[in-house]
Amino acid sequence: MTERVRKLREQSLNAEETISAERAILITQFYKSDEARGLSAPVLRARAFEYLLRNKHICINEGELIVGERGPAPKATPTYPEICVHSIKDLEILNSRPKVSFKVSKEVFEVYEKEIIPFWKGRSNRDRIMSLMTPEWLDAYEAGVFTEFQEQRAPGHTVLGYKMFKTGFLQLKEEIKASIAKIDFYNDPDALRKLEELKAMDIACDAIIMYARRHAEELEKMAQKEPNQGRKKELEKMAAICRKVPAHAPETVHEMLQHYWFIHLGVITELNPWDSFNPGRLDQHLLPVFKNDIESGNASRDELYELLCCFWVKFNNHPAPPKVGVTAQESNTYTDFCLINLGGVKPDGSDGVNEVTYMLLDVIKEMRLVQPSSMIQVSKKSPDRFVHKALDIIKTGFGQPSVFNTDAIIQELLRQGKDITDARNGGASGCVETGAFGTECYWLTGYFNMPKVFEITINNGIDPRTGKQIGLKTGEVESFKTFEELVEAFRKQVNYFIDIKIRGNNVISKTFAEFLPVPFLSLLIEDCIANGKDYNNGGARYNTTYIQGVGLGSMADILTSVRYNIYDKGKYSWEEVKEALQADFKGFEQMQYDFLYETPRYGNDDDYADRHAVKVFEIFYDAVNGRPDLRGGVHRINLLPTTSHIYFGSVTGATPDGRNARQPLSEGISPVQGADHEGPTAVIKSASKIDHLKTGGTLLNQRFSPSFFNDENSYANLTALIRSYFSLDGHHIQFNVVSTETLRDAQKHPEKYRDLIVRVAGYSDYFNDLGEDLQNEIIRRTEHEEI
Amino acid sequence: MKGLVFSIKRYSIHDGPGIRVTVFMKGCPLSCWWCHNPEGISPEPEEVNEIKRIGKKEFSVKKMAGEYYEPEDIVALIERDRVFIERSGGGITFSGGEPFMQPEFLLETLKVCRKAGFHTAIDTSGHFPSELLPEVLPYTCLFLFDLKHLDPEKHQKFTGVTNTLILKNLQLMLKSDVEIMLRIPVIPGINDDEQHLFELRKYISEIKTGRIRMINLLPYHKIGASKYRRLNREDKMKDYNTPSSERMKELKEFFSATGIKVKIGG
Repeated sequence: MTERVRKLREQSLNAEETISAERAILITQFYKSDEARGLSAPVLRARAFEYLLRNKHICINEGELIVGERGPAPKATPTYPEICVHSIKDLEILNSRPKVSFKVSKEVFEVYEKEIIPFWKGRSNRDRIMSLMTPEWLDAYEAGVFTEFQEQRAPGHTVLGYKMFKTGFLQLKEEIKASIAKIDFYNDPDALRKLEELKAMDIACDAIIMYARRHAEELEKMAQKEPNQGRKKELEKMAAICRKVPAHAPETVHEMLQHYWFIHLGVITELNPWDSFNPGRLDQHLLPVFKNDIESGNASRDELYELLCCFWVKFNNHPAPPKVGVTAQESNTYTDFCLINLGGVKPDGSDGVNEVTYMLLDVIKEMRLVQPSSMIQVSKKSPDRFVHKALDIIKTGFGQPSVFNTDAIIQELLRQGKDITDARNGGASGCVETGAFGTECYWLTGYFNMPKVFEITINNGIDPRTGKQIGLKTGEVESFKTFEELVEAFRKQVNYFIDIKIRGNNVISKTFAEFLPVPFLSLLIEDCIANGKDYNNGGARYNTTYIQGVGLGSMADILTSVRYNIYDKGKYSWEEVKEALQADFKGFEQMQYDFLYETPRYGNDDDYADRHAVKVFEIFYDAVNGRPDLRGGVHRINLLPTTSHIYFGSVTGATPDGRNARQPLSEGISPVQGADHEGPTAVIKSASKIDHLKTGGTLLNQRFSPSFFNDENSYANLTALIRSYFSLDGHHIQFNVVSTETLRDAQKHPEKYRDLIVRVAGYSDYFNDLGEDLQNEIIRRTEHEEI
Repeated sequence: MKGLVFSIKRYSIHDGPGIRVTVFMKGCPLSCWWCHNPEGISPEPEEVNEIKRIGKKEFSVKKMAGEYYEPEDIVALIERDRVFIERSGGGITFSGGEPFMQPEFLLETLKVCRKAGFHTAIDTSGHFPSELLPEVLPYTCLFLFDLKHLDPEKHQKFTGVTNTLILKNLQLMLKSDVEIMLRIPVIPGINDDEQHLFELRKYISEIKTGRIRMINLLPYHKIGASKYRRLNREDKMKDYNTPSSERMKELKEFFSATGIKVKIGG
C-alpha cells in the first residue's frame, strides 16, 4: 500500500456518516422552479439530473487519483425526497440510533423543517405508493408477511456491461439521434412518449459530460495553485482525463476507472437505486487497457495497482442512503452492495481468469474494506489456483470474496430465456442476485416471510400477534387429519399473500414508469435507447421482478417437526403444540427439547427433513415464478435475506421447530442456526436438494473455525468442497472464518475489535456495526470445528 | 454381521488424503492416558450423559455410545459423500478405538468399500494379532500407524500394553506394498524427552522406505478432558500440558532429518 493509498483509506475509514441536505435542497429548488413546469416526466427527471450535476459541490480529496463524490465530502450522504421524505422524527432517529446512524446537523434539521418537508410531504413516491396499496397489502405489510423494496429506494440491482466500458456518451448521443429518426409517427401510438424519453436521455448525456468538465475545471484550478510539481502533474493529467471521459471511450486503466466512476455517481445521484451500481466483471473490462498500459509503457504495474486501490476507496466513501423503519430493519447496514465479480467465463465461454483478476484479489486483500464487496465466479474451467488465492483472503476472516458458481448462473439465465452471450456476460450483484450485466433490468421487490405465513395458516388466517384476520380462512388446524391437508392450507395462504404482493409490485412498478423514469440509467442498459423506453418502463432487453423468500431452513424444520411429532409419531397433538407456541414454550420445555433435539432437521443430509425444504421451495416457486410483471417480464424467486431474517423473526411467534418467539429465522438456504451437526458436506448435500437453477440466486452461509484453513491440503479440500457443491448446481457459498471465542470476546470488548469484519448474509460488515440480535445470530450459526 | 461404531464423522480432513469419512469403531486393547476418545475403549455399547441447553435450562440426556452397523450400512453412509470424496481424492478411514478389535466386520467393510471404489485407510495402534494383517492388506490402501513410545516398559505404563506386537506388525507391514503414515502423538513429559526423540528418529531412519508417505506429529490436546467428566472417568492427564506451537515446529525440523515429509497434525 502506498502512502497515498494509506492516507485515503484512513480518511475513508475515519469519515463519519452524515446526512447532507445538498441534494434535497437542489432537487426542491428545481421542482419549485419555472423550468420544471409542463415537462414530461422523463424530461423533468433529466432536467433535474442536470440541475443537480450543475450545482452540486465538486469535491476533490487530497491525494486522490480518481475523483468525484456523491455528496459534498466522503460519507456525506444525500437524501432523495422525491422517493422518500424523512420526517424530523426520522432524522432524529438517524442521528441518534446506536447502529448505522448518520449525524444530522442543526442546519439540516432546519432546512428540512422549512423547505424540504413542506414541499415534499404527500408528494414523495413513498406517500404515493402507500396511498395506492390495498387494505390487504397494508395489513400484510404491517404484519411482516413481506417487505417493500421500493418504499424508500428506487429500483436498481443492475450492473454495467461490456458496452459502456467501450463507449463514450457522445456516441450514445448519436445512437439517440438514430433512435429518434426511427420513431414511427404514423403508426406508433407511443411515438411521442418515445421522443420525450429519448430527449431526456440526450439531456442526461450532456449532463454527465458537463459534470466531468466541472471536475476538469476544478482540477485545472488546483493544478495552477499546486506547489508540488509531482502533484501538479497528476492534477493536470486527471483534468485531461475528465475532459476526455465519459464523453469519449476510455483507452487507459486510469481513464476507464474514472469513466466508470462518473457513471456510478450519475446513477446514484439520479435516484437512490438499490445496490447502488456496480462495475460487474471488472477484470474482464480492464484487461485490454491494462495490457495496453503495460505494453506501451504508459503505466507500471505498481501504478496500476495504486489506481485500483484508489478506486476501491471511492466505494467505501459511499454508504447506502439512509434507511428508516422496516427498510432499515430488512437491510440494516452502511453497505450498499456493490459486488465486484472476478473470474467466470468470457463471452466466448472460455475461462475468464486473467492477470487483472489476480491483481484485484491482491487489492481486495490489502484494502480490506467492506465496500466494495467482492466475489469470485468459479466455473468448471477456472483454475484451482484462482480458488486457492481467494481462500487465502477468505481465511483472513472478513468474509470476502464470496464464491459463486458461474455454470449455475449461466444456466439460470438461459432458463430465463437469455441469449448465451448475454448469460456469459452475467454474474451476481447485490448479495447473490443473478443478472445479465448491461442488458437486464432486474428488480428485487421485497422479502417474503414464509414462517409468518405458516403461523397465520395454523391460526386459520389470523395473525396471533395482533389478533387480526389477515389471511384466508383455510380451516382450523386441529381439524386437519393428514399432513397433506396442512401443506395444502399453507400453499393456499402463500398463494394468497403472493397475489397481494404481485398486485402491489405491479402498481408500484407503474409509479416508477409514470413519475420517476431514470433517463440516465436507461442510457447504460441495453436496449433502452433502441427501444426509446425507460429502464423503469420495460426498456431493457430483459426484465425480471424478484420476490425473495426468507426462512427456508426454518420452514423445512417446522414442517418436519409437525409431520414427525404430530402426524407420524403422534407424540403431540395440535392442541398441545398450539398451546405451547402461545406460551412460547414456557411450561412446555420438554416439547421444545423434543422439537430441537429429537426431531430430524434440515442441514444434515437427512431426506426426512430435507424433502420439506424441497416442498416449501416448490410451493414458493409455483406461487411466484412466471407471473407477469408490467415491464414485459415475469416474476421469479430468489432466496436471500440480507438482515430481514432478524426483522421477520421479530414479528413471528414461537414456531414448531422449537424456535422461541421473536428469535431470528434461518437465513438464505442455510440450516437453522445450530441445527446442522453433520459437518459441511451434509449441509451442502441438504442445500443442493432444492433446484437452484430455477432461482435467481440462493445464499448459503458456512462458518468455519480458522483451523480449517491451515495448510495446502486444507485449501485443496475446501476447493473440492466448493467444486462439489457447484457440481450439484449450488449457486453460492460464503465463509465466515472467525472463531466463536473471538466473536464473544468482541461482544464484551467492542473497543478491541473495531476492525473485526464478519460475513452477514450476502455482504460483510463491521461486527461492531451489527445489532446485538444479529451478532448473536452469527455466533449461533454452527461453527464447523475439527476435533 | 454387525460392527459396533461410536461415531461417524464426515468432512474428516486429517485422517488421510482428501475429504474422508472416518468411522470410529468401538473397543480398544490399549488404554492410553491421553486417549481423546475414551468412549471408544470399551467393546460394549455404553451410556453417556449429554447435556443439551435451551437458553439457560439444561437437559441431561442419556445416550448410547455405540451403535451396530452392517458393512452395507457403512458403505451407504459413505456413498452420500461420494461427490466430495471423488473430487478431493479422499476415502474412508477406520479409526476408533482399534479397528482390528472387530476383525470380521473390518474385513467385510473394507471389501465392500473397495468394491464401491473408495480409497481405504486404517488408523491403528498396531496392537492386533499379526495373522489378521495378510487378510486385510489386499483391501487397505493406507495405514495410519501410531508410534507412541519405543520403550516397552513405558509403553506398558502409559498405554496398558507393551509395544512388542506393535513393532512386529509395523515390520510386517513394511514388507508388504501398503502405504503408511506414521503418527507420533507428542505428549510433553511422556514421550518428548531428548533421549526418546533421538531413539525414535533413529528407528524411523532405519525402517525408512518410500512407502512411508509422511510422519504426522500430533500435538497432545485437551479436547478429551470434558469427555472424561461426562463418562465419570479419572483424567490422568490433568497435570500434563499441551506442547507449544514453537515446540512442534522444532520437532518438525527434528524429524525432517529422516528425509520423510513431516507434518504437524493429521
